[in-house]
Amino acid sequence: MRTIKDIIPFFIFLFFFNECTKGDIEGPLISDLYGAFSITDDFLLVNKTPDFSSGDIVKFNCSFNKTTDWKITITGLQSSSVKEISGFSNLIDSNIVTWNGNTSQLPFFQKENCAVELTFLNESDKLRDTLNIIGSNAYEDGILVANFENGLPQDALVSWTSNIGLRTFEIANDDPLLGNAYFKMGGKVNWDWPIGKLDLKLNLPSITVPAEEFYINIGILSDSIDIHTGQFINIIISESTLPFNDDLTPNQAGQQLADIFDASDEVYKMKIPVDWHGWRILSFKYSDFEELSPGASGVIFNKNPNNITGIRIASQACPSAGANVNCPENLNKLVRTDIDHIIFTENSPLLGN
Amino acid sequence: MNKVLNTILLPLMIFSFQSFLNAQKSNETVWFNGLARSYFSRDVLESTSDTLYPRNTSNGYNLVDLNIHVNPIKTIEIFAQLRVRNKFGSFFGSGTNIDVRQLRASGTIKNKFNFSVGDIFLKQNRFTLYNYNEELSSFENDMFKPYRDIIHYENFYTDNRWRLQGLQTDFSLQFDRFIRTLEFDFFITRPRGSSQLGSNTYSPDLLLFGGSFVSKITKKLSFEVNYIKFFELPSSGNMNISINNPVYHSGLNYKYIKNNFMLSHKLQTGFSQRNWLFSELDNGSDSSSFSTRGMFFEFENEFLVKDSSFKLVLGARYVDPNFRSAGSQTRRIDFNTEIQNTVYPLHTNDYVPRPSSAFDLLSDENRFNQDLFGTLMSFNPIFSNILPFGDGTPNRMGFYLSSTLNKNQILFSKIKTAFFNEVIGQGTTEKRNFLLLAGDLKININEIFKKPKEFSLSFSYWYELTKRDGDVFEELNLNSSHINGFLNLEISKKFYFQLGLKQINASGKEFITQRNEYGVIQNFSFVNYDQSDFIYFAGINYKIKKNIYANIQYNWWGEDLNNPTNPTFYDFNYRRLLFIFSVKL
Repeated sequence: MRTIKDIIPFFIFLFFFNECTKGDIEGPLISDLYGAFSITDDFLLVNKTPDFSSGDIVKFNCSFNKTTDWKITITGLQSSSVKEISGFSNLIDSNIVTWNGNTSQLPFFQKENCAVELTFLNESDKLRDTLNIIGSNAYEDGILVANFENGLPQDALVSWTSNIGLRTFEIANDDPLLGNAYFKMGGKVNWDWPIGKLDLKLNLPSITVPAEEFYINIGILSDSIDIHTGQFINIIISESTLPFNDDLTPNQAGQQLADIFDASDEVYKMKIPVDWHGWRILSFKYSDFEELSPGASGVIFNKNPNNITGIRIASQACPSAGANVNCPENLNKLVRTDIDHIIFTENSPLLGN
Repeated sequence: MNKVLNTILLPLMIFSFQSFLNAQKSNETVWFNGLARSYFSRDVLESTSDTLYPRNTSNGYNLVDLNIHVNPIKTIEIFAQLRVRNKFGSFFGSGTNIDVRQLRASGTIKNKFNFSVGDIFLKQNRFTLYNYNEELSSFENDMFKPYRDIIHYENFYTDNRWRLQGLQTDFSLQFDRFIRTLEFDFFITRPRGSSQLGSNTYSPDLLLFGGSFVSKITKKLSFEVNYIKFFELPSSGNMNISINNPVYHSGLNYKYIKNNFMLSHKLQTGFSQRNWLFSELDNGSDSSSFSTRGMFFEFENEFLVKDSSFKLVLGARYVDPNFRSAGSQTRRIDFNTEIQNTVYPLHTNDYVPRPSSAFDLLSDENRFNQDLFGTLMSFNPIFSNILPFGDGTPNRMGFYLSSTLNKNQILFSKIKTAFFNEVIGQGTTEKRNFLLLAGDLKININEIFKKPKEFSLSFSYWYELTKRDGDVFEELNLNSSHINGFLNLEISKKFYFQLGLKQINASGKEFITQRNEYGVIQNFSFVNYDQSDFIYFAGINYKIKKNIYANIQYNWWGEDLNNPTNPTFYDFNYRRLLFIFSVKL
């Protein structure tokens, strides 16, 4: 019995002196989840005159009594650009929910007045406010590869199919996505798939993210006037260690081609069908690119954004004549796959920033 | 793959046979046992409104598990279990699988230390490491024994132990003064190895280690301490997030005999910690988040008549809302909605996923889980709402009582009752109250009339009530009753005719908790139950020998869901013809 007297205090010690972390209740309040909806803190915008070109952001704050799906919609009254921010919570926290002037739907916001609206799924409540953009976002928060404002980037190589009928491989200023210039890329090659390509030399030693978090963003313009069936852009990315343009032998059309995109090198590809009218900004994770030639002997395919040495943007369309008449409906149509604002971003796509 | 396996296993078998021959020469021992089973089921869709699915499907297999035991010396055993499984409809090796199911080396060193390496079966304490029985399996009186045997065998459920891979050792010491004995047991296992999740993402190794120390202080008094730690090794992966869940337990047991009774009083308590470590590999600074601590306490008294004809257990228990023990709270059945049933996974012409019914929980071996989880798994409150995670279910405090009675081998009775409260409310300050009332009665009619052939009737009733007061949103009231009835009649020598029924009726309101990957409650989804699950069966069981039986039975099963928008549309009814021939070698 003496032993019991010694051990029981040990249990008492464990029972009473063990600190637990329990609160008053577990989980969100049921009355909030299932009760009537009400706003507990008004919808508040911090910085109603943002200059996004100098890095300003707009912060949003609001709270309501239950966790629900909410959506903030910002509409440019002049550009008709739209930005949507959504979430599922009972709090719109100004430290988390911010806007840097980007868009969910082209065109981009300009210097303009905007209408802001907060709505809730399954609730009729709508909260409205306005803001005035005094400087628009330049979308340069990343590694800018080409914006064509000052012509082609250094070391860029442009080439097109020999004997091309019409071609538009040139800088133009009539309808840019951003700034004042873009690169027109198209033409008429009735008898074959390739139209032409733009090769750009890259050096990215400062990238710190893996392929899953590395995004390639590109603006692409097409039109519905001459739209082809089977019209697309191929993005080819190379991690080859070969010199960019060591072999100066020209192609049949007399132009230089980069040497780093051969099927025998560590090269990845992404095929993008282009079947819309107007500009679009598309973003792709580098990890989603496929190997150009999976069976290439001696090549270890291990994507590393640090090792990217070049990118090729190639325009192609389904042929309508010649030996391979796959798409007779395309005869004499002019392919248009113009590009602008090629930029790499880390962690999130350009418009998700 | 089969070719590769054949290439490996054929020489292994030849080697085993050669070893056997060599063993005969060198007095080494090689011996074999195992299990063989033939299984055939034919499922029939009874509903005529489901026109998108086959009216019936059949499935079956033959398998042999060959257990090879090699004793190179008397105190060492090497054990391997090889499985050859052949699906019905496969020919000449295609569809035939050959697997190594278990491998283990075990033995005793210097007559003092026992050890096991490889596949080991571990159990510690009800609050630290314990594989609780699945719901609906209590009070069945072997009614669905062929189904249960297969589920338990295929999922390595033996004696409430978890099957793990690693190393285990134990030893004991005896003393002639102060204390009588000291027993030690240690193990380290790896429930899950590092694996590739994405192109550059690797999960870390998951480890489980622990130890027990039990001391018999006097003839009546014993003391035990248990420790277990479930954790991930951050450096073995690159996800930078790793769980850490140690559990500490101690217990004091006082046993004595008074008059015709053996009495024992057991006091046990302990606590757990759980957190996730976020390792920043680049700058070397780590931080831990979602940290919780919780404790438990239990006082249990047992009264046992010396001839074991009557036993009564009475106890009280408190388990903190944040008590977390991966080893004892992991469930055999996960009600995650992403897991589909094997038999007719979809139903209705709208391709609706069929909810898991009592029959799926009885018969679908793919619904069962063999892995330990660091967070609480999903459960269905109509099947078990009082203690869905066993005795260590967090956020419970209350009393329980159970008894068993054996009256001259004629009448067997079991009673189980419990009353528990939540310690803190979920989503409200109001707390749930739980009531369990369960009884089981089995009568051996042949014993009453002194007849040699077995004839027994059994009936059990399990009732769970969950209530919570509060406003119109918070209040709930869920009633769930489980009924089992079983008739077992020996019509000829070892030839049994069997009839049985199982029915689960549930009605009332309850909220299903939805947790995130760190176990934090994110939402409560409201469910209004009004349903009835049923399984009826008739069959014949031929017990050729103790370990050999053939069973053929016909099952009618389904679920009536009184959906308010369409009372019969989501109901389902199926039938099954089942044949099992099982031999334990």
